[in-house]
Amino acid sequence: MRRRSSAVKRPIVRRLIIWIGFPLLLVYAAVAVTNYVQSSRAAVERMNSYLLELTNHHAAVLDSRFKAISQTPLIIAENIEAMRLLNEPRLYDLMERRLAIDPGIFGMSISFEPYALDPGRERCSPRVFRSAGGLERAGTAGLEAYHTADWYLIPELLKSSYWTEPYYSAEGGNALMCTFSHPFFREGAFAGVVTADISLAELDKTMRGIEIISGYTFLVGRSGTFISHPNPDFVMRESLFSLAEMLNRPDIRAIGKNMIRGRQGVIAFKDLDTGEKSWMVYTPIPTCRWTFAAVIPEDRILAPVKAQLIRQVILMAMGLAGILAVIVWAAYGITNPLRKLAAFAGRISSGDLTGRIEGIRGKDEIQELAGVLNQMVGDLNQYIRDFAAATKAKESVESELRIARQIQESLLPRVFPPFPDRTEFDLYAKNAPAKDVAGDFYDFFFLDEDHLAVLIADVSGKGVPAALFMAVNRTLMKTVCRKGVGPAESLRAANEILSRDNDACMFTTMFLALFNVRTGELIYANAGHNPPFIVSRDRTLRSLESMGDVFLGVETGVSYHEGWARLEPGDLLVLYTDGVTEAVAPDGSFFGEERLAAFMAERRDDALAAIWGRLAADLDDFQKGSQFDDITVVLLRRNE
Amino acid sequence: MRLRFWSRVAVVSFLGMGFSPGILPAAAPAGESPDPLVLQVQWFPQAQFAGYLMAREKGIFADEGLDVEIRFSDEHASPLTEMFEGRADFCTAWISQTLTLDRPVVNICQVLQKSSLMLVAKSESGILQPEDMNGRTVAIWGGDFSIQPTAFFRKFNIKPVLVPQSYNIDAFAVGACDVTSAMYYNEYNKIYLSGIDQEELVPFFFSDYGLNFPEDGVYCTRETYETRPDVCRKMRRAVLKGWEYAAGHQEETLDVLMDYCASYHVRTNRAHQKWMLTVVLQAVVYGVGSDPAGWGVLRRDDFRRVAEELKRQGFIQVVPAYEDFARE
Repeated sequence: MRRRSSAVKRPIVRRLIIWIGFPLLLVYAAVAVTNYVQSSRAAVERMNSYLLELTNHHAAVLDSRFKAISQTPLIIAENIEAMRLLNEPRLYDLMERRLAIDPGIFGMSISFEPYALDPGRERCSPRVFRSAGGLERAGTAGLEAYHTADWYLIPELLKSSYWTEPYYSAEGGNALMCTFSHPFFREGAFAGVVTADISLAELDKTMRGIEIISGYTFLVGRSGTFISHPNPDFVMRESLFSLAEMLNRPDIRAIGKNMIRGRQGVIAFKDLDTGEKSWMVYTPIPTCRWTFAAVIPEDRILAPVKAQLIRQVILMAMGLAGILAVIVWAAYGITNPLRKLAAFAGRISSGDLTGRIEGIRGKDEIQELAGVLNQMVGDLNQYIRDFAAATKAKESVESELRIARQIQESLLPRVFPPFPDRTEFDLYAKNAPAKDVAGDFYDFFFLDEDHLAVLIADVSGKGVPAALFMAVNRTLMKTVCRKGVGPAESLRAANEILSRDNDACMFTTMFLALFNVRTGELIYANAGHNPPFIVSRDRTLRSLESMGDVFLGVETGVSYHEGWARLEPGDLLVLYTDGVTEAVAPDGSFFGEERLAAFMAERRDDALAAIWGRLAADLDDFQKGSQFDDITVVLLRRNE
Repeated sequence: MRLRFWSRVAVVSFLGMGFSPGILPAAAPAGESPDPLVLQVQWFPQAQFAGYLMAREKGIFADEGLDVEIRFSDEHASPLTEMFEGRADFCTAWISQTLTLDRPVVNICQVLQKSSLMLVAKSESGILQPEDMNGRTVAIWGGDFSIQPTAFFRKFNIKPVLVPQSYNIDAFAVGACDVTSAMYYNEYNKIYLSGIDQEELVPFFFSDYGLNFPEDGVYCTRETYETRPDVCRKMRRAVLKGWEYAAGHQEETLDVLMDYCASYHVRTNRAHQKWMLTVVLQAVVYGVGSDPAGWGVLRRDDFRRVAEELKRQGFIQVVPAYEDFARE
């Protein structure tokens, strides 16, 4: 048998990896995704509450700063309203003292309605502001149009204090500033304003100083204009609304509107500057109605979550790798012994029974299988030894049988023609045993000058017992056939001897004839044998019918009848055993007497040896080579 | 539109910084050296002057054989004064300004056909029609900017409380006044860009109330016109081509404008300039059609309307002849 290839198409290892590793991977992925989503949400919520706290805090700080600054004009306005005598030097002095006290104020001015301070001067607006060289006074010269400035006009119209939007002032201090302006009244009429400015540069410094994790803060004014923003191009140029317009972002306009309405908010949006998905938290600064906002890109918020995800994925991958390693290890723990077993079985199937399978440990089914295989090999070896012994024994028997056959063959006359000096007849006989030692036999011998005894017999059974019985029979027949004794008497005498002490219950059918070679006369007796027949020259057949006598060896005290016939010159006497007529074809049909008779009729003129040769060939052909019974034929032809 | 006090000085300082050499002087075409000319516009760089800037930037002046420098203004430096005092050859101005001068000028090109001056109220104030302004606080600019409002109030027999107006819209935004003056191309959009939707506003365009005073036109002194009529014709042609170019290349024009604004430290943004350019271009084609061939004409009825209103308000005694005022 061909050794099986060791290249397995679907190894157990792969199947285990697919059926265990893949579902595990799916579970891991689901866990990782769920974790990530939840952690992201939590991180965003945490960050937003942090931002809310941060913006609340800074808005409050800024608000208090604005409030603090707005206190000064309120106090001065009150003083001005109370003071009878006002003059410019006193006002300068007042402002300088306040600026010295309050470093949060960039500059101050006290501005009057036309002629309100000095009936001789239409415009009067003393101002003090900080410069590189300390406090600087700004005169009233050149300030002819302050009455229409927002910081003057709007408090006048509102009759209440007002925080301006940021603006740039060159003469007022060459700075971007916002001004708190508080109106004062004299005798019930609006008389002017007291202002205090806050420098945007200072404010921006404060804003830039605000540390915010990975994000930035910005300030927008009452109209949505950026007052402070990390992008300097935005400051004082762009507003939330201009960007909303430019970028076609209605969401930004909505955010801006919420801001200028003084609302607080937490919102996800696309960053205006970078376009990143971000979160913005904004809180109003009530005093100046600005908005403080903090922005953090979502990426930054999620960075630790992503890092955690990566750590988790790495751990999971390691875990998975470990599990896969265990799977592979376990699978090889199964498949390695299996492979050994397969190789071992292959060796067994190729006939090598010398080995034993070793090295399979454990107490599992595989070990059991290995044990069984080892046991099987042992048993097979034993069987083969037994078989060899049996074969040897059989060979010895066969050898003995071969010898027995040789002996048997030597018992039967084998030289033809048997009587070369007798021309009156031709005689040919042949025995083809089914087994090595035949149960059929024939014999012929002269009782006197003219009388030839011819017999054919079939011993019951086959093999050695039949051969031995046949030998006994043949010897016995030589004894009982004597000159002057008829065939019936000979058979009777033989039967008496055979029937006595016949413990083996063997029997023999026999046809015995005395042929007078001179006259052609044929006297015969038949002990249950197939009736022979004579083929005449004209190919007609005459059967030497049985007279109903029993086999030899069955019972004692039996008498046999005699028949008489004459062989005319040229007549052929055919004796045969049932091995001829009962030869079986593979389809179960018998060769039969008719076929034999027809054969003999057709071939009767051939040489006797040729007739046998042809018959043997036909029988062999008929039986397709498998002969079941001894085949014996005796042919006797009276010559003309 | 107008700048006051700190704001004004701020602008002066910006402009001072902006007038650095190398930005404006035009290179003379090779082979000839035309006399350098100065065209002074009313304000600092913005889309209101897009056509002149593009005529310069795209070499249209040079193609006409002109070497033109564009100068910007503040309220200190009135373009007309600059022109009369010889520091500018041409200037942009409103008819209402030039008709009231005691020195003769010539309108060589009436660029904007439609008045952008307007009044704006918040709808929440309940002011939905002109009569509703009676007794309410209305902020108006002074000088030439008050002519149309005055005519408007007289027309509807309204007596509002007039208050001066600064150059921005903060007073209006915080409710210090009920109605504010605005240029449609400028302050009106600034209101929108401070978070007040157009639906929340009630606009009153003077042009809708029979008071369309065409605004920016290009002027020169009569003397210039008579001594150098050829240069005047070239100037007119180049200006109109400049506006045609701006109309046909608005994004490019905005790029140029934003560069100018950056150079002159003008605190503005592109969204606003885009609006301004759109509205100004509407004023260019108003009543004269989109074909540039018809642009730049001072229509007689517009001229007569402005002159008669000025006479009615006592700014002028006699309505001058159209032919003396406008030349094409």
